[in-house]
Parts: sequence; C-alpha cells; structure tokens
Amino acid sequence: MKSIILNCILACIILLGSCKENIAYKEKLQDPELFQSSMKKLTDVIVYDIFSPPVASRVYMYPTIASYSIMQKAHPEKYNSLQGQINDFTDIPDPTDEDVDMNLAAIHAFLTIGKELIFSENRIEEFQNKIYSDLQETGLPENILEASTRYGDEVAKHILAWANTDMYKQTRTYPKYTILEEPQYWKPTPPDYMDGIEPSWNKIRTLVLDSAGQFPPKPPLPYDLTEGSPFHKQLMQVYEEGTGIDANKKDIASFWDCNPYVSHHQGHAMFATKKISPGGHWIGITAIASRKANSNFDETINAYTNVTTALYDGFISCWDEKWRSLLVRPETVINEHIDEQWVPLLQTPPFPEYTSGHSVISRSAAITLTRLYGDNFAFADTTELEYGLPVRSFKSFLHASEEAAISRLYGGIHYIMAIEEGIKQGEKVGLHISKNLVTLKK
Amino acid sequence: MGCDKKKDAISKDKAAIYFEAVPADSSGIHFTNQLTPSADLNIIEYLYYYNGGGVAIGDINNDGLDDIYFTANQTPDKLFLNLGNLKFKEITKEAGILIDNTWSSGVTMEDINNDGLLDIYVSKVGNYKNLKAHNLLYINKGNNTFEESAKTYGLDFSGLSTQAAFLDYDNDGDMDVYLMNHSIHTPRSYGSSSKREISDDLAGDRFYENKLEEGIIKFVDVTENSGIFSSALGYGLAITTSDINNDGYIDIYIGNDFHENDYLYINQGDKTFKESIASYISHTSRFTMGVDIADLNNDLNQDIFSLDMMPFDHEIFLKSGGEDTDKIAQIKKNYGFETQYARNTLQLNRGNNTFAEIALMTETHATDWSWSTLIQDFDNDSFNDIYITNGIYKRSNDLDYISYLSNVDFSEYNQTKQNELELKLIEEMPTIKLSNIIFRNTGNLKFEKLTETAGQFPSYSNGSAYSDLDNDGDLDIVINTINEPALLLENKSPEIIKNNYIGFSLVGDREFKNTTGSKVYLFADGKQFYKELTVTKGFQSSSSRKINFGLGAINKIDSVKVYWLDGKIQLVKNLPINTYHRISRNMDLKEESISKNKIETKVNPFIYTHFENTFVDYEREALMPEKLSSEGPVGVSADFNGDGLDDLYIGGARNQAPLLLLKQYDGTFTEDPKNKFTQEIPYEDVDAIAFDLENDGDLDLYVMSGGNEWGEQDASYEDRLYINDGNGKLNRFPASLIKTNGGSISVGDFDGDGFNDIFIGNRSVPGAYGLSPYSYILKSNQKGSFTIVEQFRFGMVTDSQWADLNNDKLLDLILVGDWMPITILINQGNDKFKDETKAYGLADSYGMWNTVAVADIDNNGRLDILGGNAGLNFKIKATPENPMKLFIDDFDNNGQPDPIIFYDFFGNNVPFASKDKLVQQLPYLKKKFLDYNSFSKINSITDLTGKEEKDIMEIKKITELRSMIYLNPGSDNFKAVPLPTEAQMSSIEDFYIDSSKKSKKIIFVGNYLDYTVELGNSDANSGGILNFDATGSLISFEYLPIPNSINARQIIKLEETKYLVLVNNDGAFTFEVLK
Repeated sequence: MKSIILNCILACIILLGSCKENIAYKEKLQDPELFQSSMKKLTDVIVYDIFSPPVASRVYMYPTIASYSIMQKAHPEKYNSLQGQINDFTDIPDPTDEDVDMNLAAIHAFLTIGKELIFSENRIEEFQNKIYSDLQETGLPENILEASTRYGDEVAKHILAWANTDMYKQTRTYPKYTILEEPQYWKPTPPDYMDGIEPSWNKIRTLVLDSAGQFPPKPPLPYDLTEGSPFHKQLMQVYEEGTGIDANKKDIASFWDCNPYVSHHQGHAMFATKKISPGGHWIGITAIASRKANSNFDETINAYTNVTTALYDGFISCWDEKWRSLLVRPETVINEHIDEQWVPLLQTPPFPEYTSGHSVISRSAAITLTRLYGDNFAFADTTELEYGLPVRSFKSFLHASEEAAISRLYGGIHYIMAIEEGIKQGEKVGLHISKNLVTLKK
Repeated sequence: MGCDKKKDAISKDKAAIYFEAVPADSSGIHFTNQLTPSADLNIIEYLYYYNGGGVAIGDINNDGLDDIYFTANQTPDKLFLNLGNLKFKEITKEAGILIDNTWSSGVTMEDINNDGLLDIYVSKVGNYKNLKAHNLLYINKGNNTFEESAKTYGLDFSGLSTQAAFLDYDNDGDMDVYLMNHSIHTPRSYGSSSKREISDDLAGDRFYENKLEEGIIKFVDVTENSGIFSSALGYGLAITTSDINNDGYIDIYIGNDFHENDYLYINQGDKTFKESIASYISHTSRFTMGVDIADLNNDLNQDIFSLDMMPFDHEIFLKSGGEDTDKIAQIKKNYGFETQYARNTLQLNRGNNTFAEIALMTETHATDWSWSTLIQDFDNDSFNDIYITNGIYKRSNDLDYISYLSNVDFSEYNQTKQNELELKLIEEMPTIKLSNIIFRNTGNLKFEKLTETAGQFPSYSNGSAYSDLDNDGDLDIVINTINEPALLLENKSPEIIKNNYIGFSLVGDREFKNTTGSKVYLFADGKQFYKELTVTKGFQSSSSRKINFGLGAINKIDSVKVYWLDGKIQLVKNLPINTYHRISRNMDLKEESISKNKIETKVNPFIYTHFENTFVDYEREALMPEKLSSEGPVGVSADFNGDGLDDLYIGGARNQAPLLLLKQYDGTFTEDPKNKFTQEIPYEDVDAIAFDLENDGDLDLYVMSGGNEWGEQDASYEDRLYINDGNGKLNRFPASLIKTNGGSISVGDFDGDGFNDIFIGNRSVPGAYGLSPYSYILKSNQKGSFTIVEQFRFGMVTDSQWADLNNDKLLDLILVGDWMPITILINQGNDKFKDETKAYGLADSYGMWNTVAVADIDNNGRLDILGGNAGLNFKIKATPENPMKLFIDDFDNNGQPDPIIFYDFFGNNVPFASKDKLVQQLPYLKKKFLDYNSFSKINSITDLTGKEEKDIMEIKKITELRSMIYLNPGSDNFKAVPLPTEAQMSSIEDFYIDSSKKSKKIIFVGNYLDYTVELGNSDANSGGILNFDATGSLISFEYLPIPNSINARQIIKLEETKYLVLVNNDGAFTFEVLK
C-alpha cells in the first residue's frame, strides 16, 4: 500500500513536472481518429487515381496489415501474430528503439505503404506532413517522431517485400481477354467498351484462402434464349427490373452503385465521375461501426484488418469465377436480342457477370464485422453522403450486405443467380476467414 | 530602320502561296458567328454546338463579281454584295433574307429553277430543343432580291440539317438535291450497322427530285426509292459530289462523324444510288468533318480528301484521344462497320474504281481538329493545292479533362444541379486556336505544309469557300469563324504574277440549262488538266461556279473540251490565257457516247482459301506494333510427282491442314489423294521449300512452322521435313527439328559439293517482341543430315536468298527482316561467312523488310538486290537522321522484356505506345506520369523510363522504310534506288521477277493488315508491275488487276502469263498479265 502511494506521488511529481511541457500530442496519438482519417485519406486517393475494385482491395489491405502488425507488437497480450495465419507472411521486426511510439509507427507504416500502392503520392505526402507537424505543434518530441517513423519505415519495407511476391507485378503483363464470339461469353460493354478488368486476378496470392478456387460457386445457368428457359427467365427479370422503374429499388441500386469510374458521353463532352469501390463502401461501414462501438486505436485497426482481409480474399475468389465462367452481361444480351434501346440503371462494369462481386465481398465483409461487433448492430450508413447519395439505415451488417447484393439486379447489371450464388460464395469466404484468421486472443 | 528590316524579312519569308487578311473595315464584311451558350443550348446539350457556320459564294446578280452569304448559328445570317476591288455592301435586309436568331448551319447557292439566277438554300437545325425553324429556300427574284419559298418548292424540311448539295441525278437538266442531316444523340453503344436501314424523321438524310423539267414547281421526296440511307446512324458533316467512277452520272460522297462509315453513293443511272464505300475505298477518316474532290496528280481522275482531327503538335497528340484501341476496332468491325482511322485521308483514284489512301505518305494526315478542305490551285502552278480550316473552341477529347479535370458529382448532376454543373464542365474544357493549313502541291504527290509563311494565323475557322473575288486570276478565300470577324483572305501568292491562268464560266442553253456536274478538260503543252463544276464542298459551304486552271509557265492552251451532263461534248479552241471566258453551250452539239468506265476483270478465284486463326498478339504484348502470329499462307510450286508439271504445296495457318495440289495437263489443280496433311493441323506454316535433300532425283519438302501463341520451344513450332518416296508421296521424316517462330528457309549449295545446304532464319522469340532469335546456316553432310556451321542472332528474319553477289562462284547469303539491315554474308569458302553489310554500303538499310529477291536488273553481269519494305505510306517516318528506335529491357524488373518504340513525330521524338498501353505494361509509369500532360512532355526513353540509352539492354532501329533496289556495281557500295512512288504506297510482301528478257519485269504483291490500329492497315496497293529497260531504268508502272484491299502475301507464276496470289485470311486467286 505504501509503495503504491509512493509510486503515485512519484508519478504525480513527474506529471506535474511535465505539465510545463506540451503533452497534448499523447492524447492525439491515442485517438483512433488519427487512424480513421488516414484510412479516409487513402480512400480519397484511391477514388482520385481510379482503381478497379479488386486492385483497390489490395491497396486497402497491405497498409492495414502493416498497422496491425505493429499493434500486435505493442499489445502482444491482446493480439495474435499473423504469421502462420496469412499466406507467406513473416513477423515484422521488433522495435529496438525505446523512443518508438507504436501508434505513430502504425500510422507511418500505413501511409508509407499506401503511398507506394497508389499513384498520386503527393496527396498522401501532404496529409502525412500535416499530421506530423500537428503532432509536433502539440509537443511531439523530435526523437519520438524520428524513432517512430524509422520503425514504421522498417515495417513498411518488410510488408512491401512480402507484397512484392504476391504476383501483382507479374500479372500486369499477363494476356488481356480476347473476345470470344459465342453468345454466352462476355463482351465489352457500352459506352466505353473497356477491356476486361484483371482477367488474371486469380493468380494473385490469397491471404487466408488456400487458393483462389477454394470456394467455387456452382456453374451459372446455361445460356439459353428459349422463352421460359431458366436463363431466359432471369434475363427477363433484369430487363424488367433493371432500369429503375420502381423508385425504392432505384434508390437501393444507386446507393450501392460503388462504381469507381463511370464514363459519361454527353453531347460532345466526355467526362468521368468517380466513386468509392464496393470495398471502399465496406471500409466506410467499418469506420461507422468502429466509431459507434467506441473502438480504441488498436481495436479500430483490428476491425479494418479483418474487413480488408475479407474483401481481398473475397475479390480473388469472385474474380476466379468471373474469368472462369466468362458469362455475358445482361445488357449485351438484351440489346442484341430483346431491346436495342435498353440501358441499365447503372453503368455495366467492365468484367464478366458471374458471380456478383458486390454480393461476394459484401457478405464476407459483413460476416467479419458481425463477428467483431455482433449481429443486430444497427447503423446509419452515411458512407455515400459525400458522393451525393442519401443515408440508408440497416439493422445489421448482414442486412446491409443483402441489400448490396440485390441492388445489382435493380441496377440492371446482374442476373439473380449471380447474386444468390455470390452471397453463398461470400458466406463461405467469410466463414473461412472468421475461423482461420484469429486476431484477438481469447 | 529596324522596322523596315523586319518587314523585309517577313516578305522574304513568304511562301509560294500567300494570303493576306483584308480587314473588315476595308472590305465592309462585318460578320461574326457569335455563340452564346446557355443552360439549354451548349456543347453538352447539342454535340455540334461548336461546328460553326458556312459560307456560300456566287454571283447573285450576274455582274461578274461573286457575292457572299454567311450563315450564323445564333445570330442572323448575312448577305454581302461584291462591289469590286474587294469592297462589299451588306444587303441582308434589302434582299429579303430573314433576320432572326434561328440556327443556320450549311448554305448552298445554285440555280434551282433554271431561271439563270442563283438561289440560296440554307440548312437549319430546326427541330431540336428550343431551336425551331425549317430549311430556307431563297428564290432569286432579280435586282438583288429574294423570296423565301421553301414550302412552295417542298424543301421546307425541319430537322437536323447540316448541308444540301444540288445535283442533277438523272441528267434531265434540273437540279435535284441531297439533303444531309445529322444525328444528335451521343453514341452510347455502337449497335448493329443494320440500324442504318431504319429511317429517322429528323436526322436521316433525304433526297428530293426536282420536277421542274416535267413542268412542276416542286421537289418530291424520293428518299425511299433512291437507295440512300436515311437513319439516325448518319452523323453527316461532309458532303460533295463528283462523277467518281467517270460513268457520266454524278455520285455523292457523305462524310459521317463517329463510328458510322462514310457513304459513297454511286449513281446507278436509274434514279437510284448504291452505297459503295467498301468496294471503292479500303478505309476512311473516322470523325469525317469536311471533304473535297478534285484531281491532285493531274491524271484526270478525281481524288478525295477528307478531314479528321489528328493533332500534329506532339504534346497535343500525346494527351488527346486518338485511335481506337485494337479491341474497340474489333468490336466495331464485328458490328459491321468499315475500317476508319482518326486522321485525314487522301484517296488517290487509281482509275479503276478503287482508291489508294495515301495521306500518310503525303504527310497530309494530321491537321488537328479540321473542318473545311478546299482543293484548288492557289498559286496557279497547275497543281491543285489543299486549304484546310481548323481549330476548336472547346476541345473535348483532352484525356486529362476526361479523367481528372471533369470531376463532377454525378448524382447531383443527375438530380438538381445539372445546368450549373454543365456550365462548369464546359468552362473547364480546353480550347485550341490553330492556324489554318495549306498543303502546297509541288507535283508528284508531294506536298509542302504551309501556315504562318502563307499568311495564316490562329483562329477557330469552320466553313470556307473560294472565289476570285477581285477577278485578278487567283483564288481568294472566305472563312466563317467562331466569335471573331469572318475572314476574307486575299490571294497574294508571290509567284502569281508569273504564273498563267485561264478561267471559265459555263452557261447552259434552253435545251439543257444545268451546268453543275459539267466536266472541263483542258489541253495545253502536251498535257491534260481536268476540273468538274461542283460548288458544294469543304464544310457547310459552297464555292464559286467559276472554273480556274492555273497554268504555271504554260503560255498557250490548245483547246478546251466541255462534257455537258447530258453527254454532249463541246470543243472550244483559240482561247487566250490570263482571262476568264464564258463558254455557252452550243445548240447543235452531237451526242457522243461517253466511254463508260468498265473494269474488265481478269481475276479468277483459285481453289484455296486461307483461314487465319483468331489470336491477338497485342493482348499479350501490349507494346508491339504488329502481329507476329498471322504469317502465311505459304506456297511452293514444284513438280513433286515427276510428271513434268509444277504442283503446289500450300501451307495454312494453325487449325488448317496444308494442301498438296497436283497440276493437271489442262492447267487445273486437284487435291492429291496420296498426300493428306490432316495430322499437320496444329502447325502454322510460314515458309517452305522444295529441294532434293538426298540427291535421289526427286523433290523433298521442308516446311517451316511458326506463330506467336505459345511459349518458346512449343511443339507446334516444330519444322517438318517430308521425304519424297520417288512416287510423289511425301513422308514426314521422323526427326526432331527446330521449334521456333520461323521466318525464312532457303536452300543453296554453298560449299559446291553437289548437295543442298540450308539457311534457317527465325522471326522472333515468342512472347518477346524485338529480341533476335538464333538463325542457322546448316551444311549438308551428304547423307540427309546437317551440321550447323553458323548460328547467330541476326535479327527478326523474314526472308533470305542465296546468291553469288561478288561473282566468286561461291553462294553468298542475303538476309532481311524487321529492325535489321539488308544483311550480306559473304561466303569466304571453307564454310565460313563474313558479315559484309557495311562494306557493301547497306549500313543504313535498317528496315521492316518482308522480302528479298535478286536479279541483274541493269544487265551489268552482277546480281542486284530487290527489297520489299513497309513502304512510305506509313504512320511513322524513319530515316538515318531520325530513326525509329526500339528499346528492349526489363524496365520494371518483372522478368519480361518490354519493347518500347520511339519515333520522330513531326520533328519531336515521341513514344509509339499510348500512355494507357505503357502503363499497362509498366505500372510504375503511372506514378511517374500522373496525368497526360506530364506524359506529353516526354522526349526520350530516358524521360520515360529514367534509364539512359547506354544502360539499355538492346537498342534496335529502323532507318529505311522504302522498298528498294540496290544495284550491284561490282565494286564499291551498292547503289540504292528507291522503287517508284506507287510501290511505296503499301508494304511489299513478295516479288516475282521475270528475267526472261534483258528488260526486266518485276511484279510485286503487298498490303499488310496486321499492324496495330495506331499504325493502321497498309492497304493502298495490293500489287503492281514495274517494267524496266535493259539499263535498269524504270519505264512504266501499272497496278495489278487484283482487288485493292486484300492482305496479299505471295505471288507464284503458274503459267506463261498466269499468276497465283495467296492472300492471308482470304481466298487465293489467279490473274493474267500480258507478256
């Protein structure tokens, strides 16, 4: 008892002594908003630079894993190392300098890797400099900044070396898709007739899945335009529902559009509008959930770690199927056989139809979020506000994921089978990750 | 003092064509096409908002002075009366021209009621949003007054009109009219080209027949029966008329914007037209905006020049949307659209109802965003020049604008703030003000590009028309510009005073009033010149009816022949020069039957069709300039069964079995039942040769396989050797042969041991464009097997030839290929060869060679070399001073070589691949060049990759693109003689040399349709015959009578006068040539 008091007195003296110093930075470094704002910055640059949905999921994942690894070093009693849980991942080095602030190092590693993976580096650099100068103004000592960024750099280097072996670089020069003439196969779609996005994404190393093809969905219905055939029925369903006739459905489809690059040809002007990707939307939901749950700095990072992993593996699983079944988009079939003037509510994205990416990744992300924050975690989804869309409320993550999935039918870009089977695929991916990626120590 | 000096310098810098702008205060022409965008009407709401207005020039009061009508888009049109000496008086109101703010686009002056007075027809955007109007027909009532009578005449069309061209389509003496309209919806999807069969009330083109000759004052809409398309697929911007096929009936050329083909309506002579663009023309401009038709090489055939928007400034070029990607081009083709490129086209009339597109060769292909083209002789030197207006008020194809600058919130855009956002979008769109461009024709299909030195200055110029407004013998130009006073350019070309001219105006008679479409042939100095009377040309404009011929130094003309449209011919003699003449139609002309231009076809299909397998190399190797997987077919003519007749082996592409065709005594061929090659389907045959391998008296066959689909050493690349069993049965020799993408095999007994030795030349390392594979010289060991005496990475070998070049009785070896010189390996004896390329003066012959042949063309006892190259009609120019360079290295350290090409683009070194393609291959470049603007500043490989040239693994170059003869003088350097212009119009793929006489006849076949879209098809000349005299001088050229747009690969002589042409992915055929 005595010693406790003594300790307290000593501590108080020290505290009093340092009262003369500016220590506001310490509070700042504990503030999860520091990480939230870094993640938001990354999202903004991803949107500006235009990354396709699967590539965006990779840009989110590596910086997050780096931050997590540092948090794990900071709180070994609370978190498990990812080594052995994530493919080819080796533990990051331990900090050697006592001056390292682990939170600052986590931010630094996050932004450093983020900068490496996006194009417009100066946009992140400006942000980074601003954070550091703010912290310095509120008292961050030079030695801590220097030690933390040095450690952050070391971790970033470690993570990037690992990232470098994920086949991303090699797949950049893999063959593009050669259009197959048969009617059931995917063809580029109006208005830009862009090349198919990432036909070799299944060559990218998975994180928790053993391979891209671990959870293959059942094959799509056979292409058959005979009236009354199962395929034809689903096609007609898109034809009827996919133009936004029903106002509620239209709202749902628009809310979940999440197309990073929509091209507009108006008059003689061509321009693009940009939005977050489907993965970006779930990053936004993670921000909402972690804030609502009052997650602290490391818990926030933990949440993002689980979600970005689910998104990343989800996209690989989905893309594996897309470029296997190579199914034609409804717009192509409808324009050719049913109604040349038909235009889907949403712009058809440039890759094969089956399965629906939004369905897969929304489900896998929702499952990990449910595991972290529980079912019946109601929230108001404000993610799309800044892109001019309203707020929508959901009673649970799964509720949101189901709406995201069905939105693709209402948007006129997916058959119902791609949604239903996509949900199943996402479910398998999500459950597998929940089981095999254990971040929190029990 | 200083000022005077400056003036002197300027006048000295005047080019041979020079125009001086006459200020409005002097001319009295106060007219501005002022545009005021609003929320309802702007470039986003109406895609042709900045297309500008037109100009019509004609003599409305028959005082010998041409008057001018300007159209305005949002302000009133204006009419100016020519008072002489370039002074004008505005008479818009007095003349009865409507003064309102409706949208006028094109304007045409023609006498549509045959009263001898020019009427005016104004086209309107008249039924779109708040634009309400109908087209206007101002009937000339004399005394400079007009009465708007569109309704009376049935020409009060209200829709989306661009321009009307009046023509007498049935040669009955009155003017019918083609009304060209345009679509306004931005093409969201291409859809099927069959949509052009569906008519559209507002955008579809119309044809009206004038019933005047039947005594009725009315134009009747005959669109439906006329054979023209009248659909919303037509983005009609350009129109002119001419008797393209010289059959006495006027044809129509319609230039369409976007993906829709241009239309060439051939008049069938029965009041119908047949759209025939694909059979006359191999490819057209894509965003066709203006067009004119006239004779550019004084061969009495009408050539076509059409405008597009390819930039010539290297920075603008690198940051603007350009050609379609290869994939989109393929998609359009699948939808049924013809080949189009986003550059100007010069369609040279070959006189046989086919055209050779030679804009690249003449370097007239890039004049940026261009609107109107006028082909006339502006310096009176007897060659027609080309005047082009250009400039765009809002450049919407700026790639940074599309991807980055135009960040708008689309959901807001869709909902409430549309107008506000639109205006912001428009504001941010870049503008470009350009100097108009003149291509001065210096003869022989050579043009000199003139701008500032010809008195041109930056403007946003649209419609234009020419006329000798001051009757001083030279043609002046009037231009309608956006937001600035219209331009009156007085012709002050310095040589004009020295050059002679003669001009005519044609006047019809009571029997046949109409003169539009009349043809004038002028004979002087042993030459002939030709002009057709057509006024609607350029863009939204019509020019003077006077016909001017520049005569240069010719000071006397022999005669003039006028072909009236009804077929009557009038000869006029003894006309003095340097003045205008009125040629009135004689009453008592005889009808002469016009020699109808009938094409005799001597071409017959042959029983072989080549099917190229679908494989798109660029989808694996984004940076390569051409396919390497579509070689073949290959044919070998040899007597395999020993019956004294040469049989044919034809090897096809992958998935197609080779064929052995036995020649019969009647000259026909039948499939050999003994030799079926169905097992050989996996191979793509690229070369083959018949020779006696084991000296057993029969011909064996070596077939070289190739392709670029699989990795190195794939089994499908294996060469095959077939041994003749003596009875004509070819058995595959069970030996493992080389597995590469083959290029060429040739056979010769280089060591003189009586046994054939072999050269095996390889084309590429599959998957690694640009790298040189190993090629081999193999020596026969006289028992049917071979040993390698030489192996070397000579280059991407396409052809080879054994020949004794130095007359030492030892066979030397000549190799050609891509990115390599004509390589000479001199036989040193003892199985040794020495590369003597440089010593023979061929060090600068790095080319894209396809074929090589030898013959003693100049009869000096030495073999000369003939090389078939890519030719000059090529988007890239390459010379020893400004070579095209290929840099090969693994720039991004991913284990794959990246072939990056740089070339000279109008004086600046630029990368060949677009930023999008380069970034795809080298993702790190995306960080280096965040926007297209930074990319557009690139000037070298170091700028692009950061690597110095000296550190780059391999650098190749091309310094010669011409097809050549290298004459062998017996000592010293070979003498390089380029083949004539016609033989440079396409890639030459194969030669046949007839050496039976001292005067050599060389037949070549060519074209190459497997370049990337950025380079475009080489399709201007599928073949020709070059006749030389005994000293090796060229005496004549003639086109082969074969279709012009084919991908010809090989020519084989079958009989004395009969030749076989093998074609890639198409049927083969035979043709006959007179001995």
